[in-house]
Parts: sequence; structure tokens; C-alpha cells
Amino acid sequence: MRRRVLVAAGILCVLSLASGAGLAQAPFAGKTVTMLVGNPPGGGYDRLARVVARHLGRHLPGNPTVVVQNMPGAAGIVAANHLYHVARPDGLTLGLFNQNMVFGQLLQVEGLRVDMRKWQWVGSLTRETDVFVIRADLPYRHILDLRRADPPLAIGATGPGSGSYDFPLVLKAFLKLNVRIVSGYRGRSDIMLAIERKELDGVAGSWSSLVSFVRRGLVRPLVKTPSENPELKDVPSDVDLVSEPTAKAVLQLHAVPNRIGRPFVLPPGVPGELVRAYRQAFRSLADDPAFRQEAERLGFEVVYTPAEAVLRVVEEVLNSPPGVVRVFKSFFRFGE
Amino acid sequence: MVEAVLDGLLRVLQPDALLYMLLGVFIGFWVGILPGIGGVTTLALMLPFVYGMEPVQAFAFLLGMHSVVATTGDLTSILFGIPGEGLSAALVLDGHAMAKKGEAGRALGANLMSSLVGALVGAAALALAIPVVRPLVLSFGSPELFMLTVMGIAFIASLSGRGARGLARGAAAGALGLLLSAVGQDPQAGILRYTFGQLYLWGGIDLVPAVVGFFAIPEILDLMVRRSSIAASGPTGKLVGVWEGVKDCFRHLGLTLRCSVIGAFIGIMPGLGGGVAQWMSYGHAVQSAKTAEERERFGKGDVRGVLGPGAANNSKEGGALIPTVAFGVPGSSAMAVLLGGFFLTGLVPGPDMLTKHLPVTYSMVWTLALANVVTVALCFPLLPYLARLTTIRATRLAPFLLLLVFVGAYTANNSWGDIVVALLFGALGYAMLRFRWPRAPLVLGLVLGDLAERYLWISVARYGWDWLGRPGVVVLAGLTLAVLVYPFLQEWRERRATQLLHREVAHAD
Repeated sequence: MRRRVLVAAGILCVLSLASGAGLAQAPFAGKTVTMLVGNPPGGGYDRLARVVARHLGRHLPGNPTVVVQNMPGAAGIVAANHLYHVARPDGLTLGLFNQNMVFGQLLQVEGLRVDMRKWQWVGSLTRETDVFVIRADLPYRHILDLRRADPPLAIGATGPGSGSYDFPLVLKAFLKLNVRIVSGYRGRSDIMLAIERKELDGVAGSWSSLVSFVRRGLVRPLVKTPSENPELKDVPSDVDLVSEPTAKAVLQLHAVPNRIGRPFVLPPGVPGELVRAYRQAFRSLADDPAFRQEAERLGFEVVYTPAEAVLRVVEEVLNSPPGVVRVFKSFFRFGE
Repeated sequence: MVEAVLDGLLRVLQPDALLYMLLGVFIGFWVGILPGIGGVTTLALMLPFVYGMEPVQAFAFLLGMHSVVATTGDLTSILFGIPGEGLSAALVLDGHAMAKKGEAGRALGANLMSSLVGALVGAAALALAIPVVRPLVLSFGSPELFMLTVMGIAFIASLSGRGARGLARGAAAGALGLLLSAVGQDPQAGILRYTFGQLYLWGGIDLVPAVVGFFAIPEILDLMVRRSSIAASGPTGKLVGVWEGVKDCFRHLGLTLRCSVIGAFIGIMPGLGGGVAQWMSYGHAVQSAKTAEERERFGKGDVRGVLGPGAANNSKEGGALIPTVAFGVPGSSAMAVLLGGFFLTGLVPGPDMLTKHLPVTYSMVWTLALANVVTVALCFPLLPYLARLTTIRATRLAPFLLLLVFVGAYTANNSWGDIVVALLFGALGYAMLRFRWPRAPLVLGLVLGDLAERYLWISVARYGWDWLGRPGVVVLAGLTLAVLVYPFLQEWRERRATQLLHREVAHAD
């Protein structure tokens, strides 16, 4: 009887050791990974999160299920704070936030309780470009023609802190364009409809959200932030259009998050091997043809940026010279 | 065009498209009834599955699901006073009052029938509007949208209750609603208003937990205080039947159709959003009362208060599809997700959908119509059982209801702040219920305030003062005046009629 108990105990020990070893090999087996998104369902970030979620499981050891959880609020700050301080650092929660959040830290926005440098960055799968477009039926062909625009063009925006407001504002100041910013629209869609109605003449935004309207012929891009996207090769880049060094630096600073793309992060405290597993998974996901096809259909430009590169970009922003930051602050705010 | 219509129908009737639609209906049925998982989130969840499907099948699935949620979401509003899908609060006012009188079956029947009528009108609107949709939507600019929100706010006058005191209270409640809508980051200068340093309030007060708490919590508290059951204030405790409700819909067919049209129209206007359609149609239903006394009955269980919002809730979805398909501009948040469906199936929303892919567009119309017919057919046998839920004792029901309320409030944004909001609004709603202050005007102010401010600002920034002279604005201003003045006119006419009657009687002596 005692022998049987000993044998059973021995077997249990071996099994637990084996499962322990197994755990190291397939840490995600049978688990569910939650992808926390700081934006509401339906928008660009959400769409990206869902397409990544659909394919990511296959590339993680153990093939977990990946689900998306939306936690909108304060332009992603709520979700970021949550992931940083509240979520368990067990590697089962991954975050996708507003790429501009690094500016939130630079501008010391109230309420942001996160140090962007301390995230364990996983990497980015897409790259963004911001463009400024005007209605295709307007006679202006080159961005500098807008200096002589008469009457001044009405550019639609959602509010200070969004790309639709800040980018035209800085373009107007640096390039001396004759445009007016009409702010208060509820979202990109309302602005596009107003453009159709000829209530507005132009808008600024990310290429992935405007591409379908450009392809349809409603609007024409006049200026972009630096990008290698072949579809935009004939469009001048904003940095090339200014010569004054501070202005150039400010525009370059503004374009920096686009090099991050839409970044995925893990909270500090997640064990190193899990972080490495994620980074490896993202690397292979970027080459996955099924994923690439679905993402490109949705208008995303799939370009893999490894974690180290993302962290370098973050450091670059946070180490900007104070003179540049001062001018930057006068144009750019952090908001929805 | 007729060939396109028929072609669309044939495509929907293909076995695989039909199957996907039924699957969507099944999923949507449960999503609407159970709180916690909203229609929009579910759409976003289901979206990736349509990758690779043919467009007709994909939309049969997505639209099948989506159109059903609007119908079944109404059920909890009526039965328990808990606003179902997001903002179907207008239904709670009379629908739940009817349930309390023991007429739950009748309310459910009326709602289901009017939902069907509304859905069919919405689908028809979509079909008929296709040739004229572009000029129609394009003629409504920010100034016209501003006037529409003002008109909505003017309905506060009708929803306010009788006499000078009623009107004063209604106006005060409306003003409070408008004030509360100002909380958050202002869209012109980015200034944070009334946020008291709370990150949660950056985006303003979220409507879903506010409305859910505002209507549901007072009802549940009331139920617990009374300690009987929901249907206890009915005359004999017996349940009046579902067929009575169906007949009601046809008795007031004119009203139902008019409210369907209102809902479809507001759905077409992409700038207005979900809550507006049902409140405007509720306001219109109230105004259709012939005397001031009849008006008083609203809020206490008048079936017309169920027919109006019930129809509008469904017709607005058909309407919302129009700008989505024709411009690629989503008419509602569900439509924003649906746009992803376009991209995934390789379609581009815009003029092409009205020309090259016209049969696909018409297949969507047919899906809307058919999915709703199927839902109604499925729901009807269930209604008597659902109605019996109102006879369950409060002590058993109330905890479950509270769970529904808080789960519904929390899962909208996965935020604790939402629960606090629901509680605070619940307290406010209970106080207003107790002291007989009308609650509808506050919600109207809350829903419309943000929109009104934005459009006013944009109109002035873009057009200076010229926008006041636009023909659309003038017409809408006239209508608004009519809406404002109507209740006073009614009362004045009644008083005169009574005076004349007294004089005749005096003469006769």
C-alpha cells in the first residue's frame, strides 16, 4: 500500500515536472491572449487589431486564441494606464495604442501615468503616412498654389490634438497657406461628407484612412509626411518644402511616430521569454501571406518594424532639443 | 432598375446567402436580448469571418445580424424598463408603463409589429432613395443639421407635461441635459470642460450608461419598494394579449408609418445618430394626441408611445445604410464597422454601388426586409412567455435586473467610470420620478446638446451669418416654431372650446 502511494507520488512529481517543462515550450497553449485597444470599435486601430488578432495566434507557440478588447477613453490614455499599472504582467495582455502617445509624454499631458521608455515593445506591423488632401475639382495642383487661394480654403477638423487639426495648422504657419480651419466635426466620415457637399475643401489625415477617397477621385493629395509609399511618389514631402532649420525639425518631429506605425506593447514586468516569443511571432506574422493580403485589402501598408527600432524612435522624440519642443508645443496638442 | 431589384432578390434567395442570413439572425437575436455585448461590438467580432465571402453572402450575414438586434433589444426596454440596444430609452417610457399595467403582451405585440413596419419602410426607403440619394444627402449641410437638432430640442415643449409648472420643469430638465452634454473636451479649442481632472470625463458623459441608469434604476428601485411584481398595478393582474398589440399597430397605422419615415429620414442624415430618431418620433407621437389631456396619458402607458419609437428604431437602420453605401460615410457606428465589410469583400462604397454593383445594393435591401420578417415570425410565439416574466415577484427579479443594468453599463467601454455614471444618473432619475419631474427632456438635451453645439459652430465658422438665409434652414425654422407652439395652441383651443360651451350652457338656461 505504501509502495503504491510512493509510486503515485513519484508519477505525480514527474508529471508536474514534465508539464512544467512543457509550459516553457508552449507557454500559450490553451490560453487566451487579450489585445487591449485604446480606441472604439470600427476605426482604423480597431480594424488593424482585429486582423492581427485573427492571424497572430498561429504564430505564437501553443496557438492561443487572441481576442480584442476595446477600452476607449482620453485618446488611449485610459487603456495605456490600465495596461501599465493594472493588468497582470503575465504576458496574456497585449496593448495597441495611439502612436502619438509618445507626444503625450513629451508634452507632459495630465493624466498619463506611463513612461513610454519602460514598455516592452513588441514591434509594429504597419507604417503610416499623413497626407493633406483637397477636393479634386479645385484648380490648385501644387501645395504652394494654396498661398494664393481665393477664397481661403475651408479645411475640416475634429478638434485640437487630432491630426486633422494640428497638421494643417502647422502647414498653414510654415508654408503661409491661405486656409481656414473649421473644427468640430464628429469624425473623419462627417468631414468627408462635408467635402462631398462642398462645405469643406480639404482635410488632413492618415493615408490608410483617406486612400479609398483618393482612389475614388474625390480628393487629391498635395503634401505628405516623408514616406516610401510608391502610390505617393509624386507628392512632395512637407520636410522638403521648408528651409528654416527649426521648422524642419518640428515637421520631422511630427512625422516621427509614423515611423513607429501602430505599435504593440507589453507591460513592464512580463517575463523576457514571453516578450521574445511575441517579437518572434510578429516577425513571422509580417511575412504571413494570408495576413498581408487581408491587411492590404483593408488599406494598411504592411512593414515590419522591430522593437529595438521602435524604442530608438521613442528615445529620439523624448530627447528632442527644448527649442524645437517649444515651437512644437505651440502647434501640437495631445487629444482625441 | 427593375432588373437590378429582381436580381438582388434572387441573389439573396440563394441557399448559401439565405443560410448566412439565418445564422446572422440567430446571433443577432441573442445579442439584442442579452446586455453586455452590444450590436456594434458583435459586428466587429463577426467581421473577420466575412473575409473571402461573396459580397451578397457577407452582407446577408452582417445585415441579418444587425437588423435583428434593433428588434430584440426593444424587448428588455418593455419588459424590465432597461433600455436595450444602447439608446432605445424612448420605448421605456410608455412600453414599460404598459408592462406595469399588466399589458406587457400588448406592448410587445405592438412593438414587434411596428418594428416590422419600420424595417420594411426603411428597406423601401433605401430602395427608392437610391436614385436620388446623392442630391438628397448633399443638400443637408451643417446649418440644416443644426436646425434639425434645434427642432429635436423643441420637442421638449411637448414632452413637458401640462400647464405652466409642467413646462417650467420640462424646460429646466432640458436645460440640465444641455448643460451635461457640455462635459468633456470642447471640439473647437480643446479646453476641458467640467472634467474635474478626471481622465474618464475627457470624452464627456457616455450616453449608454447614463440612459440605462437614468431609466432602469428608478424602475427597479420602485419595484423593490413596492415588493410585488412588475405587472401588479394592472386591474386584474391578468395579461392582455399580444394580438391586441398587433391590432393596435394597424389601428394607428398612419402614426406608425409617419414615425417610420421620420426614423428613415434621420437615419439617412449621417450627422445625427441613433438616439435622435426614436426621440423625435416619440415627440411626434405625443403631438399626435388630440387634446392636452390625451397628451398627459403618454408616459403612463399609451400604446402610441410604443409604436412610434419601435418603428423608428428599425427604419433608421435602413436609412443609415444609405450614406454608407452611397458615400462610404457611415450613418451610424454599426455602419462604421460594416464599412470594413465592404473592404474585406473587395467592394468600394460610393457611386459604384449605385451603378455597377446595383444588384448587390438591392440584395442588401432585401436582406433587411427578409431578416426582419424572419425575426418577427420567430419572436411571435415567444411573446406570451416573455410577457409572463412581468408576473414574477420583485424579490426574485430585481437582483437579476440590477445585474443586467450594471453589466450593460460596464461592458460598453470596459470602464468603471461608466458604473459610477449609471449610479449617479439612477439617483437623479429616481429623484425626478419621485418629485414628478419629466425625464424625457433631460435625455433630449443630453443627446442633442453636443450635436447642436458642433453644427452651430461649424455653420458660423464656415458661412458667417449667411447660413441663416439658406432655404433649408428657413423651412426647418418654420417647422421648429410649429413644434414649439403646437402644445400651447392645443391648450388655447381647448380653453376656448370650453369657454364657448359654458357660454352656450349659460344661454340655454
